[in-house]
Amino acid sequence: MTRPYANLSRRMTIVALLVALLPLNGLGLGLYYYYNYANTQAVKEELRIRALNRASAIELFLAERTALLEVLAHGARLTQLSNESELANLLSIMNRRSWSFVDLGIIDKDGRHRAYVGPYLLKEQKYLDAPWFQQAMQKGVYTSDVFLGYRQVPHFVIAVKHDNGSDSWVLRATIDSDVFNRLVRTAQVGKSGDAYILDRQGRLQTPSRLGGKVLDPAPVDMHSVAPGSSVVERTTADGRQVLTAFSWICGGKWLLVIDQDPKEILGPLNLARNVELAVLGLASLFIIMAVFILVRLFIRQLQTNDAERAAIDAQLAHSARLVSLGRMAAGVAHEINNPLAAMSELAGEVQDILVPSELAKLEEGEVVGENLERIQNQVERARGVTHRMLKFARRMEPHLEGIDINDVLRESYSFIEKEALFNNVKVQLDLSPDLPLIKSDRAQLQQVFLNLMDNALDAVGQGGRVRVMSRADGSWLTVKVSDSGPGVPADLAGRIFDPFFTTKDPGQGTGLGLSISHSITQRLGGSLELENHPGLGATFVVRLPNTPPDTP
Amino acid sequence: MSSFKVLVVDDERDFLESLVRRLQRRSVDAAGVTSGEAALEHLEREKADVVVLDVKMPGMNGIEALRQIKQCHPEVEVILLTGHASVESGVEGLALEAFDYLIKPVKLDELIERIMEAFDRRKVVGELTGSPPPDQS
Repeated sequence: MTRPYANLSRRMTIVALLVALLPLNGLGLGLYYYYNYANTQAVKEELRIRALNRASAIELFLAERTALLEVLAHGARLTQLSNESELANLLSIMNRRSWSFVDLGIIDKDGRHRAYVGPYLLKEQKYLDAPWFQQAMQKGVYTSDVFLGYRQVPHFVIAVKHDNGSDSWVLRATIDSDVFNRLVRTAQVGKSGDAYILDRQGRLQTPSRLGGKVLDPAPVDMHSVAPGSSVVERTTADGRQVLTAFSWICGGKWLLVIDQDPKEILGPLNLARNVELAVLGLASLFIIMAVFILVRLFIRQLQTNDAERAAIDAQLAHSARLVSLGRMAAGVAHEINNPLAAMSELAGEVQDILVPSELAKLEEGEVVGENLERIQNQVERARGVTHRMLKFARRMEPHLEGIDINDVLRESYSFIEKEALFNNVKVQLDLSPDLPLIKSDRAQLQQVFLNLMDNALDAVGQGGRVRVMSRADGSWLTVKVSDSGPGVPADLAGRIFDPFFTTKDPGQGTGLGLSISHSITQRLGGSLELENHPGLGATFVVRLPNTPPDTP
Repeated sequence: MSSFKVLVVDDERDFLESLVRRLQRRSVDAAGVTSGEAALEHLEREKADVVVLDVKMPGMNGIEALRQIKQCHPEVEVILLTGHASVESGVEGLALEAFDYLIKPVKLDELIERIMEAFDRRKVVGELTGSPPPDQS
């Protein structure tokens, strides 16, 4: 592809791609980010609701056990519960319905463990300084944080005070950590999810699957956790991006924490988003392919048209050169023939005077006679040359034969049909069906018609109309080529048949087309005229003599 | 002198004078003028049977002169003689009823032959139209 075509091709490709791809991809990326945002919001909300539900379940679990212990503590007498076999009986009854108590104990007001049933040897231990004992004595009911205690095993207890004035005592039960931990762990989701409880100091109250053992500090900034329930995105100690739901439980005593890997839960939701992205990519690919193919087709068509155009121009220019060459030859021959004729006559006259008998009287008469003869021979020789030149010129002259003008018009139209189609120009052929055959020059007429149609196409540009009409009218045949173009400006109308006069851009026309067409029609005994309607179009009228062809 | 009159019209004086003298030397009653206008004037004054006419001349050209000669003196035969051979002038000349169309340089014998033929036709046409050549009057 030559340079201008390559440039045009590149510009068209870039513009088409920008126009097609920018809005599409803008919309696509907007949707992509919207999906992302909406999905994340949905997941966060779901996580928060789950945290709230689990928090309620845990609170309910503790409240039920506290209530049971309160009933026991308030309904029984100290002597009754101090009997360890009674107490053991009670514990086994309670655990039969999976109430999940590890042990039961009675502590008197001095902090002495009066009675104990359970797996540890804790009877007679002193609890006067234990925080849970002090809190229970003070508040009546108390659920402790997890601590090690005498048994050196992490656990937490519920303590209820039997208030009997100076003879008060405390019923204490240890919650089965396995059962409680399992309850908390039901909030976990997926392979990488985690759920655990922290106390106000940020120590683990239940084990974290990934974060550590009970009583270890957890990497959560307790001060930044909002009251109630909330969801945040955060980075864990091992560098994972997680969504974390916080929910305070038991009146702000503990914090339920649920960690979740967003990828795991967003995965299915993001499928739609990824499909959208894939469709966007495919559509872009198709558009790019289509643009490249279309641009290539267009450029190829343009090249073909330009080449055809160039061929027509070259043909016209070639004919123009031949015609002018012929004229020059004829002119030269004429200029030489006249002096030749004079020389021939002058020498001939001398020959007439110096007949052989006169020559004999001269001293060198023989030489004079011979030279006169040679002059005539030289004239004859030059005459041969000029007559050959005239013959050549005459070959450029019309070659007359019987022709059907409509046929010539149709043939000329076939040359420009493609160009007309390409420029969306409607060409109407209005040919009289009963046109007589006339004696004229087919090739030269074709040149005239082709030239006029070509000019008309140039004049109307895109989407115009051209009308070609033929009529017989007595002794003349008329062909009209009309266009719906701007017409010829009035001040230029007189010059359009001048050689080298053109209104086209430099390089677009030789300025010889109309001039040649004009002289061809004249030589054929006809005429070429312009019927000009500035602003409405131009009509070129070719008139040809209605000479019947020689009958063979 | 011949029994008929010839008028040669050519702007080339060397050619014209020499040709006229050579024709006279061969007993042809010939005269010469150098333009179409002069030819018409000459014909007004003096009759001619055959006019040998150059096509390309300054002022009135040969074709125009031919047209006017045929208009005013339809009985006169005209032979066109030119250095330029173009079919358009040839066709036009013949259309205007010129007797023949010759290209310079032409041999004198050949020219005289054509003049004789033209005069023969002049005689035939003259008999038909009732305008006889001078020698028969």
